[in-house]
Amino acid sequence: MKAFLFLVLTFLSVTAHAVTLEELQQRFSQVSVLRADFAQQRTISGMAQPLNSSGNLLIAQQQGLWWQQEKPFSLTLLLTEKRMVQIMAGQEPQVVTADNNPQMFQFNSLLSALFHADRKVLEENFALDFKDLGKGAWKLVLTPKVSPLNRLFRSITLNGETFLNNIDINDMQGDATHIRFFNQKTTPATLTDAEKRHFAS
Amino acid sequence: MHPDLHRKLAQSWLLIIALMVAALFWLLPRSQINSSVLALLPQQQTADVPQAFSDGFTQRLDRQLMWLVSPPPGAGVQPANDWLTQLQTLPELNRIAGPMDAQRQQEWGAFFFKHRNALLDDATRQRLKSGAEAQSQWILGQVYSAFSGVSGKELANDPLLLVRASQMAQQQNSAGMTLDQGWLMARDKQGRSWYLLHGELKASSYDITSAKHTVAVLSAAKDAFEARWPGAKVLGRGTIFYSNYASQQAEHDLSTIGAASVLGVFALILLIFRSVLPLLLSLLSVAIGALSGTVFTLWIFGEIHVMTLVLSTSIVGISADYTLYFLTERRVHGEMNSPQESLKKLFPALSVALLTTVAAYLMLLIAPFPGLQQLAVFAAAGLSAACITVMCWYPYLSKRLPVGPAPGLAIIMRWLLAWRSRKAVRFGLPLLILVLVVAGISRLKINDDIADLQSLPADLQQQEQQIAALTGQTNDQKWLLVYGDSTEQTLQRLEALRPKLAQAKEKGVIDGFRALSLPSQAQQQRDLSLLRQRTPQIIAQLQQAGVTVANPDLSAQTVDVPQWLNSVVSEGWRLLWLTLPDGRSATLIPVSGVHDSAAMAALAASTPGAGWIDRKTEFSSLFSQYRVYLTYLLALAVAVIAAIYLWRFRLPHGLVCLVPTLLSLGMGVAALGFSGHNLNLFSLLALILVLGIGINYTLFFTNPRGTPTTSMFAIFMAVVTTLLTFGMLVFSSTQAISSFGIVLSAGILTAFLLSPLTLPAKKRGRKK
Repeated sequence: MKAFLFLVLTFLSVTAHAVTLEELQQRFSQVSVLRADFAQQRTISGMAQPLNSSGNLLIAQQQGLWWQQEKPFSLTLLLTEKRMVQIMAGQEPQVVTADNNPQMFQFNSLLSALFHADRKVLEENFALDFKDLGKGAWKLVLTPKVSPLNRLFRSITLNGETFLNNIDINDMQGDATHIRFFNQKTTPATLTDAEKRHFAS
Repeated sequence: MHPDLHRKLAQSWLLIIALMVAALFWLLPRSQINSSVLALLPQQQTADVPQAFSDGFTQRLDRQLMWLVSPPPGAGVQPANDWLTQLQTLPELNRIAGPMDAQRQQEWGAFFFKHRNALLDDATRQRLKSGAEAQSQWILGQVYSAFSGVSGKELANDPLLLVRASQMAQQQNSAGMTLDQGWLMARDKQGRSWYLLHGELKASSYDITSAKHTVAVLSAAKDAFEARWPGAKVLGRGTIFYSNYASQQAEHDLSTIGAASVLGVFALILLIFRSVLPLLLSLLSVAIGALSGTVFTLWIFGEIHVMTLVLSTSIVGISADYTLYFLTERRVHGEMNSPQESLKKLFPALSVALLTTVAAYLMLLIAPFPGLQQLAVFAAAGLSAACITVMCWYPYLSKRLPVGPAPGLAIIMRWLLAWRSRKAVRFGLPLLILVLVVAGISRLKINDDIADLQSLPADLQQQEQQIAALTGQTNDQKWLLVYGDSTEQTLQRLEALRPKLAQAKEKGVIDGFRALSLPSQAQQQRDLSLLRQRTPQIIAQLQQAGVTVANPDLSAQTVDVPQWLNSVVSEGWRLLWLTLPDGRSATLIPVSGVHDSAAMAALAASTPGAGWIDRKTEFSSLFSQYRVYLTYLLALAVAVIAAIYLWRFRLPHGLVCLVPTLLSLGMGVAALGFSGHNLNLFSLLALILVLGIGINYTLFFTNPRGTPTTSMFAIFMAVVTTLLTFGMLVFSSTQAISSFGIVLSAGILTAFLLSPLTLPAKKRGRKK
């Protein structure tokens, strides 16, 4: 699932006049490294308050995605071609690979499809609805059409202008998640040594 | 022998034959032709696993079939559904399983939900053991993750997310396969999807007739399917494909090799004797041999194996030898001697030849192969009957035989003369053969691997490799078996073994294993107390983090084996569980990628109620054990023969007589080296026959009452018939049989070539 995030974050770099999905897709493949902060709010039915969390993320064209939640507690997600790792303080890292859990890993193929601008694979999984909102703003609504995605999500909506700014996820169970991105940077275009170590583990 | 006495003997033999015919009619309805390939293999000697379990599982697994179907790109799952429907219409198959429909998926989730407190996965258990903190952190991680899909409803029903954890653990077991619209699906490197189906045969895979039919039906279904869906592919796996291939080979051998060798022998007799009588007499002795062989085999074993019949065609050649020896004698000396005198003259050689051959065949009884044991009994009984027939009846029946000189007398005389007068032949030929023997043996490899005894056809092998690549499951049938007096004891033992298996995987002893994950009652109780102990703290910690959940239901939701077996969650696992009527139970743990079979055997030995089953390695070590065993036996036999020769012929001739025997054994082995075959148990079995049959030639020559030319001619005939029968085995497509044939042909040919060496010096080359 984390791969969706990846998928959508790759829309972070678009030109002001880009108003077609094809152009968006062409753009993201040219950005080699992208850093941003995020703020997330989950609204879960039956719970008094929404759950808020925040942190930062890093997307490297070659290596993958590094998602670092800092508040209210530390949670790290790493997603590469070969594996997904979830790290929580004081716990064994949870490693998912194509071999040990292909179900969860399936989304990686979506990801690589995007890397190759493979719109066909996107369309195999979602009904796509792309809207140009004018002044460089755009909206893409993804409606899952295959299981298990369609049992989990009602829709995934992406909003942005120059960068992707918001993701809204509506679950089938009436829960909602809203993620806001800010402070997006495309420089430096190479990874620092510390960042390289994230992916080397 | 007095003529009256001989007549009485002949009459009693007729009576015995009549009795045997009666016995055959009595036995036939009470016995069966065994066509199970399994029956040819040694009985499994797994001392550490009760036979009932290994038999039960083996029979069950041998009936399994699986298919992987790949629709043409873009066709979706429709072709897979079509193949499923097609299989379901076949009356030969049972329990065809394809996709899991929505309802069963629902039931699956419902079962896990209903028994969530009893079906903890290892990871959750570990977290709970290390403290409440670990579990509450894990729950928070799931709840906060935008993409895990934890809903309010899920949290309300299962605040500890136990179902989610156990389902994640289940997915970890999926061996690289994903779900696609309820189908288990794997993708290959080219990105094609392969959908998995399972099924079961109604009959045993090893039943030759029904297996042949079923394989034909399946192959027709596959052709029809591929015609309907151009570009679609179907891969199949199952014991039936292998056993059917093996039995088809055997059938093919029986019809072609058997027929060719029998026809060859009779054509030769007609050609040489230019008279129908010898042919009829040979037929009679062969028929009586076959009758007696069949009766004794059925009487002792209650059945006869198809493969025994294949191999026994090779005995035709030997049983014809006795007739030929006698008839040659009569043809050459018919005018001078009465038939009784001829018999008297030949009796020593005939009887000793029979005894040595029968002794050689009876040595095969030592090998633990039911098929070979039957062959040994068949041969011993058959050859004795054929020989007795010659002795009792042929002095009467051969009265009308046209008399004449031995055919090819001139050539034989020249050949024998050369042995006497030319050192080049007398020393050169044995030396030349010795050089060949050394050269051949230097190239020889020893290989006891059972897999090399039969090469599989390329298409089966290719399918096998593809399936292994797609599913990660190889077909090399290695598993651990855990058993106990009750279901509970079995499950507890399985739990004790699991950490050891995980360790073995870590160490690289094995690549992976599949063990069913139903906790024992004791474990379920322990898990429940652990849950009850930790839950209040977990709920409090979640509360602190702003996640408010209701108190979970902590009632005992225990699952026992029958419940589990009757639910949808055991689908795909049921094969691995067996409960006998008396309550004793066992579970199978298939292991893949075994790098150290001995370490696994040790692991099983260190756990009560566990056994390591690795048929292939077991058979291979059994083969090697018996190969060594037979080597000693052969050496002993040679030593006994040497002693007898030395005692009879004194030095130096006794030693000279030993040369053909030793070189024929050497040449049999060397021929394997030249033909690129490996030395294995079957080569040794063949060598024993080389010894037993080859020695006859020496005996015919050293018979003090015999005539060298007559002996030479009889031996020549005997060799040609033997080569026609055993030599035909070389063309068998079953490697074990063809290497058997190579050893025999090369060995016997050498024994024949060198046999004149054994002529006593004064007899060599002398006219009759």
